Amino acid sequence: MFKKLYTVLGVGVISLYTVGAMLGWELGTSSRRQLPPDARQNGYRSFHFWHYGLRGGK
Amino acid sequence: MSVLQAQCPACGGPVEFKSGQSVVVICGYCRSAVARTDRELKDLGKVAELVETGSPLDIGLRGTWRGVSFELTGRAQLDHEMGGQWDEWYATFSNGWLGWLAEAQGRFYLTFQYPATEGVQLPSFDQLQLGQTVQGLPQQATLMVAETGRATARGAKGEIPYLLTPGETYYYADLSGPNGVFGTLDYNESPPLIFLGNQVTLADLGITTTRAPEREQRQVGAAQLNCPKCAGPLELHAPDKTERVTCPNCNSLLDVNRGQLSFLKALKKLSFDPIIPIGSSGQLPEGKMTVIGAMQRSVMIEGIQYFWSEYLLYNPQIGFRWLVHSDNHWNYVQAVAPGDVFESAKTASFRSKNFKIFQDAQAIVESVLGEFYWKVEAGELVRGLDYVHPPEMLSKEVSFVPVSDDQQAPNKKKKLTTGEINWSLGTYMPVAEVERTFAVGGLPRPSTVAPNQPYPHKWIYKYWLMFLGVAIFAGLAVFIASGSKREVFWQSITLSPLPNPDGTHVFFSEPFEFAGRSNIRITAESQVDNSWVSLEGDLINDETGLVQSFPIDISYYYGVDGGESWSEGGRTDSAYTSALPAGRYILRLEGQWEKWQQPAFLTVKIEQNVAYGFNFLFALIALSIVPAIMLIYHISFERRRWSESMFGGGDDSDDD
Repeated sequence: MFKKLYTVLGVGVISLYTVGAMLGWELGTSSRRQLPPDARQNGYRSFHFWHYGLRGGK
Repeated sequence: MSVLQAQCPACGGPVEFKSGQSVVVICGYCRSAVARTDRELKDLGKVAELVETGSPLDIGLRGTWRGVSFELTGRAQLDHEMGGQWDEWYATFSNGWLGWLAEAQGRFYLTFQYPATEGVQLPSFDQLQLGQTVQGLPQQATLMVAETGRATARGAKGEIPYLLTPGETYYYADLSGPNGVFGTLDYNESPPLIFLGNQVTLADLGITTTRAPEREQRQVGAAQLNCPKCAGPLELHAPDKTERVTCPNCNSLLDVNRGQLSFLKALKKLSFDPIIPIGSSGQLPEGKMTVIGAMQRSVMIEGIQYFWSEYLLYNPQIGFRWLVHSDNHWNYVQAVAPGDVFESAKTASFRSKNFKIFQDAQAIVESVLGEFYWKVEAGELVRGLDYVHPPEMLSKEVSFVPVSDDQQAPNKKKKLTTGEINWSLGTYMPVAEVERTFAVGGLPRPSTVAPNQPYPHKWIYKYWLMFLGVAIFAGLAVFIASGSKREVFWQSITLSPLPNPDGTHVFFSEPFEFAGRSNIRITAESQVDNSWVSLEGDLINDETGLVQSFPIDISYYYGVDGGESWSEGGRTDSAYTSALPAGRYILRLEGQWEKWQQPAFLTVKIEQNVAYGFNFLFALIALSIVPAIMLIYHISFERRRWSESMFGGGDDSDDD
């Protein structure tokens, strides 16, 4: 039983590593966000947008 | 062969010396031992009737040894001082050789007589020590003394190549060497006669007898007898080999002498209850074995008495084996030739395996039940040494028998003793396997670690190495398959001075292209000098608005403190992110720096498909956590094992 569990763990870790490497995954990458459509249309380069619009304040 | 036909001097019946080397022939009519001398035939007296031992051999049987044919022409039966008999068959070879084929406990030893090496004086019987190596033997044989004993000629049949006198007693030493080499020193003459040879099988001797199956068939059959004390019924499972049996009805210890039972003594009430009943059978790897006896033994170590029980197993085709039960651990035990074991101070080696000493103590028989092939008694004492190499344990038992005063040599100050060394190899049997084998349930589980109990999770090291190998292979394959890294952006940037220390400066790059499924590394370099630059970066997909943020902190400080120069940090920092969907991206950087009154100069580089070992390292750590925990458990397991040993010695865990 324990042997099977470790085998599953080992196969899982190696598979995850291989798939991750093929897809360019990096551990520790912060989560992604999406610019609101209106911000993209109106321009997103303003200081106000990045500090109060997207991040909600620093 | 020259055949001499004559008349028995005792009864007048015809006797025949078929072999020119025969000295004595047993008269088939009156069982007189008839010796031929230069002048006449001489009656040496009547021999006893042979005890039926269930031997597959018989006079007249033919075989071949090393290409030379032989015929069994005589048989002598000798009594062992500890009880029981063994047979010696005399093989007359077609080329004139004369071989001695000894048969005991179902094993066969073929030896030939050799003249003593010139100038070498062999030790006298009272000089022999059990376990000593005998020097100066012919054939450059290096053999150790495995047994010293006293034999009495009791019966014979056919032609005998020496002057066999019925009832005559003589001393002998059995010698054992590696790979089945065997020898005997016969102290019936001085200097002793030397016999050297090998342990053999019937197949080695080319003996294929139809008599063997017939014998085996008879051996299997148990004998039904009645106790001479209480008249209760009892069964002998090995009637041709049993020397002692206990009555299951009145618990008397009975002597078995040629199929006849005689009362020896009443045993005290059993202090142990055999977990596996006498008469139980079980299918073991060697074959089906029947439990025919059980005994409890003990050792005293540091004032504490430790008990264990041993079950005697028997199969006529296999012989005797033991099942040892100690601290709820079980071992399947079989005898090994003493000459195959090499013993040093604290180790013993057998079949290229080294065993470490675990215990050395006097073991005593506490109580017995059932049948035994030697004259066992409560109180029987042996010195026992155990050597371990899990899952196996080599055990050595040394026993001594004082020779009675009437058998002592009159002019010797030193009293003669005989004895033997027995080596056995035990193999650990899990409790569940014992339950399955003997169809018993609910056996208690052990709470301790047995001397030779194998660590149950050693497999994990092999699995771990295997997974590491696979992970390295996968890492290399990924590295080769993904190709080289690719630079997608590079720019030198000047950030103008900040209005105040809390201010920031923002930079937006021109668009650049990212390929999909390739990780990203952003590297920034600034020639900071005892200061820092902190950047908050964003990669913005110009088409979809996807934002991936990352931090970069550059700080480099250095100086001299107490005459020693020091430095901290660096002028470069990198951030890694997972692959982004392929497309057009813009880099946004918002910076702050320590020397805010001055402009900050940066070089920023963005690459894809960068070899980065963090994921690989993480995979290796994930694969190693469980083995690391199991290694700690393994060390604890070995400490528990060796805490029970009087020799400590648990410096490694070589229980492969």
